[in-house]
Amino acid sequence: MSVIFDKVSKQFPDGTLALDNLDLEFAKGEFVIFLGPSGSGKTTACRCLAGLEEITSGQILVDGVDVSPLPPRKRNMSMVFQNYALYSHKSVFENIAYPLRVRKLAKGRIAEEVRRVAALLQIEEYLERRPRQLSGGQAQRVAVARALVWKPDICLMDEPLSNLDALLRLQTRTELKRLHRELGSTFVFVTHDQEEAMTLGTRIAVLCDGRLVQFDVPRKIYHEPATRFVAEFIGRPAMNTLEGVLTAGVFHADEVRIPAPSPIDIMNEIVLGIRPEKIVLHRQPGPNLVPFALDVAELVEPDTLLFLKSGKNSLVVRVAEDCSDLLPGDTVHLEFPPDALHFFEPTTGKRLS
Amino acid sequence: MNRAWRNFAFGVIIVVIVIALTPYFWMFLTSIKTRAEALAGSPLWFFRPTWEHYPEVFIHKHYLPLVKNSVVVALSTTLLSLVAGAPAAYVFARQQFAGKEDLFFFFLTTRMAPAISVVVPMFLLFGKLGLLDSLYAVILAHSSFNLSLVVWMMRGFFEEIPPEVDEAAQIDGNTRAGTFVRVLLPMAAPGIAATAVLCFILSWNELLYAMILTAFESRTLTVGIPGLVTPHGTLWGQVAAVAMVATLPIVIFTFFVQKHLVRGLTFGAVKG
Repeated sequence: MSVIFDKVSKQFPDGTLALDNLDLEFAKGEFVIFLGPSGSGKTTACRCLAGLEEITSGQILVDGVDVSPLPPRKRNMSMVFQNYALYSHKSVFENIAYPLRVRKLAKGRIAEEVRRVAALLQIEEYLERRPRQLSGGQAQRVAVARALVWKPDICLMDEPLSNLDALLRLQTRTELKRLHRELGSTFVFVTHDQEEAMTLGTRIAVLCDGRLVQFDVPRKIYHEPATRFVAEFIGRPAMNTLEGVLTAGVFHADEVRIPAPSPIDIMNEIVLGIRPEKIVLHRQPGPNLVPFALDVAELVEPDTLLFLKSGKNSLVVRVAEDCSDLLPGDTVHLEFPPDALHFFEPTTGKRLS
Repeated sequence: MNRAWRNFAFGVIIVVIVIALTPYFWMFLTSIKTRAEALAGSPLWFFRPTWEHYPEVFIHKHYLPLVKNSVVVALSTTLLSLVAGAPAAYVFARQQFAGKEDLFFFFLTTRMAPAISVVVPMFLLFGKLGLLDSLYAVILAHSSFNLSLVVWMMRGFFEEIPPEVDEAAQIDGNTRAGTFVRVLLPMAAPGIAATAVLCFILSWNELLYAMILTAFESRTLTVGIPGLVTPHGTLWGQVAAVAMVATLPIVIFTFFVQKHLVRGLTFGAVKG
């Protein structure tokens, strides 16, 4: 099975262009993440796939068939909503059984399937309860159970974890990953949380302003961001970017001079990027080291985040070593390993390599 | 809350209850007094009760069919208003279309005109249609004012249900119509019950339309009461007996659904 977004655009009646010529293709069994800030079109993309929104132009092909004219019930997809959207007048059992009842399965089969999926999600003991008697985590599992019980082709999830508290979110994340492995089904997961995206996805589609910016495995998204936007969106803290000029193998931004093997011969304006954990901290000056002044130090056990300044330029460095001896105002010397540097085109933000 | 304040609050509540219930209690007493006792110059609290008014008015004066008429009219009105109004309310709650709020306000304005200004045109219309003195006329007239109430109340109940529930129901395999009938209506059941009760009460208590549009066969119970005001004086005992029978079902009914009813009547105030 394959899903193809072919130049899909979606314009809302108020004129908002939520999807702008979106091209995307993924296969059965993947755990695809739609990642982006709010307003990036990730939820719209998911809703268009489900058939809850009509697309303005383009095609969505599932196994080569254009599903655009099909209503949601004929697309063989299920969905988990952010607010779970459980049927409050039905018991948990009936909530999970509902898609099977609509599809007129035999009673015995329904009970069997509901118990199977309830066991999988460890909610057997709540089957007789009403949705309002459930905690957020339990309601979320019921919603997932309802989405998986009838074995749809694709299970869509629209920010299913964002209403859970932090600890529960971590647990549920792990469980979703396990579920995906055990069931081998296709998941499409919408989130604005890059950590969720990085840990869950087999591939991540990063969206911005209704356009696909990058679609790749998490590793590549992290280590080879296609644009400055992706670089600054992924990672905690995000990638440092400095705007400056690159001439003769040296990057200049005010007083900052960083030796940089240029990806292009001569490039005047350029954006240099480096991950906070790739910068090497030195206490003493040395050749090719760049001095920065410490602004704030934050302890994020087991690491320390150092917020540094030099003129108009600021950087974050993530180091594992003990920095309790450093005080605000102290000067540190930074090493920028050449192979950890990323370069982006300043106007378009495209990666240069 | 300290004790004195609580006692004071209880006292106020008791006074309000007494003020509210005294007319009903007096009505009951009047229905079991003889005519002379009912007209006694000073209020009479102790007397030998008589039950003669009840058989007199309901059996000899044939008021029993009026009870049936009232039940038929109130139930039909409620059903008709709900069947037509609930889908309309659902559309108002979910769908975006040009002039939506104006149309919604227009629905409300149908309740703003004084009934007396509408009843004469209605009389002429039903006269042309040959529906005068039929239950249909009363049912349609009552539905005309109950419909806006249903649309107005039910919109709020549907808006309380997150739209994602509709979408989940569609994804689970329902058509749009199926979603409404099989998922939304059951979920809005408490709201429907509150609306139904209110419709029933308004239709049951209505006098003006019913009085103008009916004359003999199709009179409702409320229309029957003025018939007991005779040239020889008002038959207070019988009036009270009819009023008792007319009031009791509503009182009992309301008592059982008061929780839903309060919610149904106040949601607008909360939601703004």
